[in-house]
Amino acid sequence: MEQLKFTGRRLIYLAVMLFGVATLVFILTKMIPGDPTVANLSQRALSDPEVVAAYRAKYGLDQPIFVQYVLYMKNLLQFDLGTSIRTNKPVLSELARCYPATVELAFFAIVLAAVFGILFGVISAIRRNSMLDQVVRAVSVTGVSIPSFWFALLVLYFFYYKFHIFPGPGRLSNSFSAPATVTGMYVLDSLLEGDVPKALDALSHLILPGLVLAAFTMGLITRTTRSNLLDVMSMDYIRTARAKGLGRASLIMHHALGNALIPVLTVIGLGLGNLLGGMVLVETIFNWPGVGQFAYESVLSADFPSIIGVALLIALNYMIINTVVDILYGVIDPRVRCQ
Amino acid sequence: MKKRFLAVILSLAVAAGCVACGGNDNAGGSDSPAQGEETGETSDQSGETSDQTGGSNTVVVAMGAGFSTVDPGYVYEKYPPLIVNACYENLFKFYSNDSAPEPCLAESYEFSEDNLTLTVKLKEGVTFASGNPMTSADVLFSINRCKNLQGNPAFIAETIESMEAPDDQTVVFHLTQADSAILSKLTYSSLAVLDSAVVKENGGTDAEDASTTDTAQAYLDTTSAGSGMYVMTSYIPDEEVVLEKNPNYWGEGTNVDKYIIKIQPDANTQMMTLSTGDIDVAMNMTDDTIAELADAQNVEIINAATKTVGFVMMNMNETYGGPVSDPKVQQAIRKALDYSGLQVICGEGTLTPYSLIQSGFMGSKGERPADYTNVEEAKALLAEAGYGDGLDVDLTVSDLDMEGILLTDLAQKIKDDLAQIGINVNIVSQPWAAGYGDAYRDGTLGFTVMYWGTDYNDPNVQLEFLPGGVVGLRAGWTADMNPELAAMYQETMSATDNDDRIAALEKIQDAAYEEGPFIMAVQAPAHIGYNTRLDGVAISDPYALDLTLINIK
Repeated sequence: MEQLKFTGRRLIYLAVMLFGVATLVFILTKMIPGDPTVANLSQRALSDPEVVAAYRAKYGLDQPIFVQYVLYMKNLLQFDLGTSIRTNKPVLSELARCYPATVELAFFAIVLAAVFGILFGVISAIRRNSMLDQVVRAVSVTGVSIPSFWFALLVLYFFYYKFHIFPGPGRLSNSFSAPATVTGMYVLDSLLEGDVPKALDALSHLILPGLVLAAFTMGLITRTTRSNLLDVMSMDYIRTARAKGLGRASLIMHHALGNALIPVLTVIGLGLGNLLGGMVLVETIFNWPGVGQFAYESVLSADFPSIIGVALLIALNYMIINTVVDILYGVIDPRVRCQ
Repeated sequence: MKKRFLAVILSLAVAAGCVACGGNDNAGGSDSPAQGEETGETSDQSGETSDQTGGSNTVVVAMGAGFSTVDPGYVYEKYPPLIVNACYENLFKFYSNDSAPEPCLAESYEFSEDNLTLTVKLKEGVTFASGNPMTSADVLFSINRCKNLQGNPAFIAETIESMEAPDDQTVVFHLTQADSAILSKLTYSSLAVLDSAVVKENGGTDAEDASTTDTAQAYLDTTSAGSGMYVMTSYIPDEEVVLEKNPNYWGEGTNVDKYIIKIQPDANTQMMTLSTGDIDVAMNMTDDTIAELADAQNVEIINAATKTVGFVMMNMNETYGGPVSDPKVQQAIRKALDYSGLQVICGEGTLTPYSLIQSGFMGSKGERPADYTNVEEAKALLAEAGYGDGLDVDLTVSDLDMEGILLTDLAQKIKDDLAQIGINVNIVSQPWAAGYGDAYRDGTLGFTVMYWGTDYNDPNVQLEFLPGGVVGLRAGWTADMNPELAAMYQETMSATDNDDRIAALEKIQDAAYEEGPFIMAVQAPAHIGYNTRLDGVAISDPYALDLTLINIK
């Protein structure tokens, strides 16, 4: 019963939040200077009042703003996000096209960030103030502070262009055609096709952009893991366990790390939410057709149905991730379940 | 459990790393085919669906982004014509960049005495990729559809009042006015001839309400429906387009079986992928990235001027132009600009046209003399205009770029040049979509630097810069301000004979050489890098790159 109430509250919260986001973004896109007609029609077409009028009528831009809002919300209730002014295609299908590319890359990056971030954080904590700790801290600070577009060019230049260690931009090598779309994620779709070489090729194309995107979150995770682990290691129950003769590895893995990971989960959740919103510059450099590029082009074109669509998607991402993180708190820390 | 989970993740990461080690062995700017072909064997082993290259004659091209459809009825941006030209054909075509249009699907053509009717006889035996024969009904459908979709390219058919098809092989165009550019307009990608039966089956219509009822775009974004040398077999927006040879092509094709067109907006990425052999042609190189390839083996570079022109506009209407509406001040500015300096900013291949017509167009008088700039003369002109002590003026500039060159960079150079004659320029930045576009269109900008991409490949596009023309009016230059020059609009439009056209165009260039509110400062360059295994790669203003002329050596 409690669980049902909890779920119901969450769903109502989700609906209210999505409504708020849609309204806010609609108002903002109308307030900021930028006319979709001027942004999308050519200089020549803009000189023809007939073409301009037809264009405005087609996208409902000739209606008063309030009417546009009511119409948009009415369609939204029927899960219709409208038609993109830039591409002339349904926004939902445009998001369905570019979101899987972002999801695939974001999950790969967050796994890299989480695995290496936690690993480095633990090493740094148990070797506190050693040379290794200093190196790990320097790496994590660099990861947090390095501009992603510059890092992207750097890794592409060295690992692809100069030393030919990793494949170049794009999602697949030229020798492979895109797999039939099931999930839109090439690794998974290739596996569903039973084409292992193609899946491995797609996986290898994730490495460089994944590394670039992971760098920032990995730095944060390393620092958070280190500081929390150090806090936990100084607690009484750890001292007691150590006094009872428990080995260091067992002490960290079974007693300390679980407690230290709760704040790390929050960082991972926020990092994933950030990555799922798309990263324009990295996507551009790695020729990755994700949500970031779509959002960027939509803003340039004052394509408000697409801008709202992306905003709703990002809001939804955070809502879902926060819920999952809340559940995982309970899995890691039984005290949370009791509360 | 946690240990197992971590172990699985680590294993995945290690596996990914191992896979990646097989990354790219085709490095070092080899003259071998793009990477896809070399890995063809591997992909064959994985099954037929993995092999995208379709043999050894595959060419990989990288081009820029900025478009979202390849439906000919809507295409207007720079790159879609590259695809449309390979998959569709028009009545006429430019077989080289600076030539006049020549018949393609047309067999012959004839203008009426009054130049108001154009009769085109179609080639016989032309079939679409579907196997359907191409007839005059397809031509009518395609042109009417473009017109009635009322998209960006609809203007191209504005001088076509009506069309008729007396028989399957004849199309008669009735024009609203004599139009010496009509053959060039008929080469335009948006007027490509579609397989009307296939397009209609998939929601296409040429009815007057096509702008709201036509639904064929979704279909034409998945495959093509033309008679061209290639068929589009895949289009993944913002990622890649795949073209394969049209098995029913009626003409003689090249030896390239397949094109993989990668959409790579970043010039550095293109430079790297060209160097490593992953692509064969890089369309969006910049001066910097070209320099990186200076020592690359088996890479050829083309630097050449496009017909996209950067110009200075000084409003003739004193209300908006203030001092720059004075013809003497305009001439002083014209004399003060350092054109060779502007060319350096834009990069190798840039040139300054003689006058209103770009170099490369029929009738062009070439380039403005290199020694045209004269600061002392400019100062004297300014003094003569009553501004011996100098003047202050706002130069409004938008956030747009011209073939990758920021207009703000040009504005900065103009500011520096004019400072030498005592004109203090204050640069005012304004986004295109947030004010600049409206002001530019309404003719309320006083002094600006802007660019003009040719709507279609014909010198008549420049007639809009004449007094009373679309762009002329944006500079407050009404026909009554220079009736003689304004009259040249009609004279040139009516000159369907090439010699008459050239004479009319030369007259315009001489008349506007030192007259009027426009200074044609630069023709922006294009930089293309390509693998030397290819033959026939060339800059193309109408098609960006004409894939139907490329062969593998």
